[in-house]
Amino acid sequence: MTDKNTITEPEGYRGALRERLIKDKIRTWSRVEVKKGDAHYEGLLLPRSQNTNDYYITIKVDTGYNLGILVDDQTTIREIGYQKGHYELPHVDVQFKKEFPNVTLLGTGGTVASRLDYRTGAVLPAFTPDELFSAVPELTSTVNLTPKTLYQILSENFQPEYWVKTAEAIAKEIESGTDGVVIGHGTDTMCVTGCALSYFLRNLPIPVVLVGSQRSSDRPSSDGPRNILYASELAGYENFAEVAICMHGTPSDSYNLIHRSTRCRKMHSARRDTFRTISDTPLGKIDDSGVTWLKKDIKPRSSAEDFYLDAKIDDRVGMLYFYPGMNPDLLESMVDLGYHGVVIIGTGLGHVATDIYPALERCQEEKIPVIMVVEPLYGFVQLRVYETGRDMLARGVIEGENMLPSAAYTKLIWTLGHTRNLEEVRKIMLTNIAGEITKRESPRGFMLHQGTEPGIDYMLKNL
Amino acid sequence: MIDPANLDFKKLGFHAGLEVHHQLRSNRKLFCNCPLILEEDPENMDYSFYRYFRPVLGEMGDFDPGMLVEFEKGYKVIYLANERNTCTYEMDETPPFFPDMEAIEKGISLSAYFHCSAYAEEVVVNRKQYLDGSITTGFQRTFISARDGWVPVKGKKVRITNVLIEEDAARRVNWEDTANRTVYFNLDRLGMPLTEVITEYTDVDTPEELIETAMQIGRVLRISKIGRRGLGAARQDVNISISGGDRAEIKGVQNLDHFDIMCRHEVVRQHALIEIKNEMLKRGIQEEDFEHTYIDISHLFEDDKKYFVTVFPKMKELFGREVQPNKDFGEEIFEKSMLITGIQRENHFHSDELAENAVRKRSAHQCTLLINKDVLEKIKSIVKINPEDSLIVVAGPERNAMHAMKKIVERVKLALKGVPQETRRYMYNGNTEFLRVIHGKDRIYPDTDTPPVVISLKRVHEIAKKIGKRPWEVFDDLNRRFQFDQQHVDLLIRDEKLNMFYEIVDKVGLDANLVYKLLIDLPRELRRKGIELNNDIIIKMVHLLTDKIIIPEQLELALPFVIEKLDISDEEIRSKLNFKIISSEELDSLIANQIELFGKDKLISAENRKRLIPKIVFQILKKCNFSVPGEKIVEKINLMLKEVN
Repeated sequence: MTDKNTITEPEGYRGALRERLIKDKIRTWSRVEVKKGDAHYEGLLLPRSQNTNDYYITIKVDTGYNLGILVDDQTTIREIGYQKGHYELPHVDVQFKKEFPNVTLLGTGGTVASRLDYRTGAVLPAFTPDELFSAVPELTSTVNLTPKTLYQILSENFQPEYWVKTAEAIAKEIESGTDGVVIGHGTDTMCVTGCALSYFLRNLPIPVVLVGSQRSSDRPSSDGPRNILYASELAGYENFAEVAICMHGTPSDSYNLIHRSTRCRKMHSARRDTFRTISDTPLGKIDDSGVTWLKKDIKPRSSAEDFYLDAKIDDRVGMLYFYPGMNPDLLESMVDLGYHGVVIIGTGLGHVATDIYPALERCQEEKIPVIMVVEPLYGFVQLRVYETGRDMLARGVIEGENMLPSAAYTKLIWTLGHTRNLEEVRKIMLTNIAGEITKRESPRGFMLHQGTEPGIDYMLKNL
Repeated sequence: MIDPANLDFKKLGFHAGLEVHHQLRSNRKLFCNCPLILEEDPENMDYSFYRYFRPVLGEMGDFDPGMLVEFEKGYKVIYLANERNTCTYEMDETPPFFPDMEAIEKGISLSAYFHCSAYAEEVVVNRKQYLDGSITTGFQRTFISARDGWVPVKGKKVRITNVLIEEDAARRVNWEDTANRTVYFNLDRLGMPLTEVITEYTDVDTPEELIETAMQIGRVLRISKIGRRGLGAARQDVNISISGGDRAEIKGVQNLDHFDIMCRHEVVRQHALIEIKNEMLKRGIQEEDFEHTYIDISHLFEDDKKYFVTVFPKMKELFGREVQPNKDFGEEIFEKSMLITGIQRENHFHSDELAENAVRKRSAHQCTLLINKDVLEKIKSIVKINPEDSLIVVAGPERNAMHAMKKIVERVKLALKGVPQETRRYMYNGNTEFLRVIHGKDRIYPDTDTPPVVISLKRVHEIAKKIGKRPWEVFDDLNRRFQFDQQHVDLLIRDEKLNMFYEIVDKVGLDANLVYKLLIDLPRELRRKGIELNNDIIIKMVHLLTDKIIIPEQLELALPFVIEKLDISDEEIRSKLNFKIISSEELDSLIANQIELFGKDKLISAENRKRLIPKIVFQILKKCNFSVPGEKIVEKINLMLKEVN
């Protein structure tokens, strides 16, 4: 309840300064006059960001700039007017067209669409249809898009149960006959969610496309609008039915690459073209002229009748990143804490130091599956090349083939949801379910430098 | 159109403000660690990429209207980048690094020079949207250092409203074709630290005051050694308005010599637009009279462009009015539709331009459409035009031409309000061209990538205490003590010799004019001959003078020897100069001889004496190898002449 005449909390202010503002009846969003010696300031008192100094106020002056002033005993503040800032977009009246496919956009958070939050000074996801269509008006003339909000969380806060809920929401959309699903997702753990969904959605009949942005949509240069446009086209029109990631292929706004989730990884902390297909070529690319498929083994759309959801999980799974000097007690304690499965990211072909062996033996005794994947990301685990590898195999370590860490981790969670029988676990883990294991490794998987311009165009053309 | 050469600025209510953009001296860019290296050839590049931009909401929930017009332009922006001066930050592929503290402190220092009273005690980085592609992020990171300062200008105070520190924009490459929808930028300049000093525009009433304001600000940037030197280090935007007009922001005027003509042409433009507005009101024209009804007349032409015509009721002869030298109102409108829609102004036509003395015929951008009187008559009969009406024709690809016509109708409606607020671009001939709708404050919002930086007031005071004399204080001092004029003082500041000047004059005790000659005149003279007079040479000369190894008159004689050999000994100098101590008697006889030679009689009249004595002195100086001060010789001559009389 925000009434113009009631004193509201001075948002974001703390301690003595907050008390003072309340006492002097000074509201955030009011026009204030601040005097301090010769200095004279006038402007809007803005809410204060968290994690900043307690003794300063932030004001917006006539030019639109913000600045901070230390409020001490010599400073006087006076309210001289009030104007509540409101964040409101014009309502967009969307007419669905018969000739357009229906696409559901499930929002989980992330920065495809977002707005500023004064309290934290950070960017918050914004996913109402009005916000989305105001930001990307072209969306209304491509597909019939229905945005729905599942969660509003940052992707690092995802939990395995959220994957399940997301899969359930997708299943519901499939049952209601949508032509494709787009998932708005934070980019940090987009691949992990993508892997989990790949295992959960059995006989997937339609495309499920994960999309996000590396530059938040509060910037004119955001990659979000283009990503979501391409993702929607992909989900609505293309004849493929996999869980894919559709993000910028280069630093330019030229085309997006389409990655199979189980082979995809975020490879740069900030770049637009951060996502790369590892040990394989991307599924395809999409630009203003449409999609060019680069792979032949793409699963086409199929009847929804065969589709079923299989989202049984066991999240007592951990992942260890082996490094020289790693104390075996890390693995020991996982056994002690009752973990049901472990993924180890081993050096080179998949090795750990010999002093880890006793802990591996304990896992073997306790029937805890240990899946080995490789730290170099590219290439296969090979525990038969060196003596150490063979020693590890003898201690029950399961070679994770060329599964990426996130693919192995989510797969183990899913597998253990079905069985804890070690042999069955081994069998499932070594069976390719959704492209997480490739039988062959084409040299292109490593040689193709995705995202380097102008080289990529040339390379993709000449595949 | 009133005569630009003959304007009464005060009567017209002329006001002008400045936004001085000046790069700072620094070792790094403001938000990343790239060095400040400009490519000699702006088309140089190691790699390239391209982007499109979209407006975003301000924190109050509104789109900035200026930004929407920018978006309408639909630019594809191609960036040229070089490995040595560009990293992923300039590419907008990584968040900003911590801002350069040195630049923040330089902002405080500058603010102190400008007598600012209100400092930002906590620096909040803001984003200022730019959709023209000049900044890869689509916004410039910028912050206030301080507010409310002033500079003295011709006996009054011109207020400085804001001193900002911000990142410089990328350099536009290839900017000739303004109709092109693809624009090019080199990223070398992007991110360089820049200060923007903004003046209160109501404080400046004449172009002369405007120029002096710019010079005072420039002097501060030089005297403080905060401003980067060299070509392109400083750019001014000028805001101009007259009574009844509105703010026009004219961008990128680098040379102060252009200020006068620019002010004049802008005053003329605003005056003409106000007159047009008054005439429209007199004719009873209302906004509703103009409609987006464009009629396709492509069948009258043979090429494959789409031709549209719109009638503008009661507008006869108004599009043909001259608003700036050789530019009519029609062309002023076409500039805007060209920039927004990409249709060349040459593909725009209005019905006044076929008249006998039409202004458009003098324009550099005459219409190239094949419309003669016959064609115009055909068009008129198709649209059933009344005699008091005007019409405009636009030709191009269908969508763009329709878009252009829409923009034209919008602009003509605006004419009822007089002068629209616009950002304009300065042209070589003193005229200006539409660049964009003026940007409002809705395009500024806080930068979420950079937390606020606390600057304690104590630190502000420490920095403020360290600044030296302000340029106007230096002028007052040197003018009072040595009668130096502003030009002398300016050269001392520009050549960064002021500290040395004070040091030598006040501590060593040499004569001010002599020191000026040594620090400014001689180095400048020698520089023209390709010889650099460095500080070591100057210090050596100061030593020779103060230790009386040479006398001031021998300065120029001794200088070549020192330039040739810096560690030349005092004895060597003396022997090189063939220095001999001549006795008072010898000198007397030399003087007597010379007076004899010139003729005593001629030296009776004061007028002749004034003319001839310097010549006599010079002859004597030559004979004694400048070993006696000239004043002493003059003294002796006068004495002798007195004796004679």
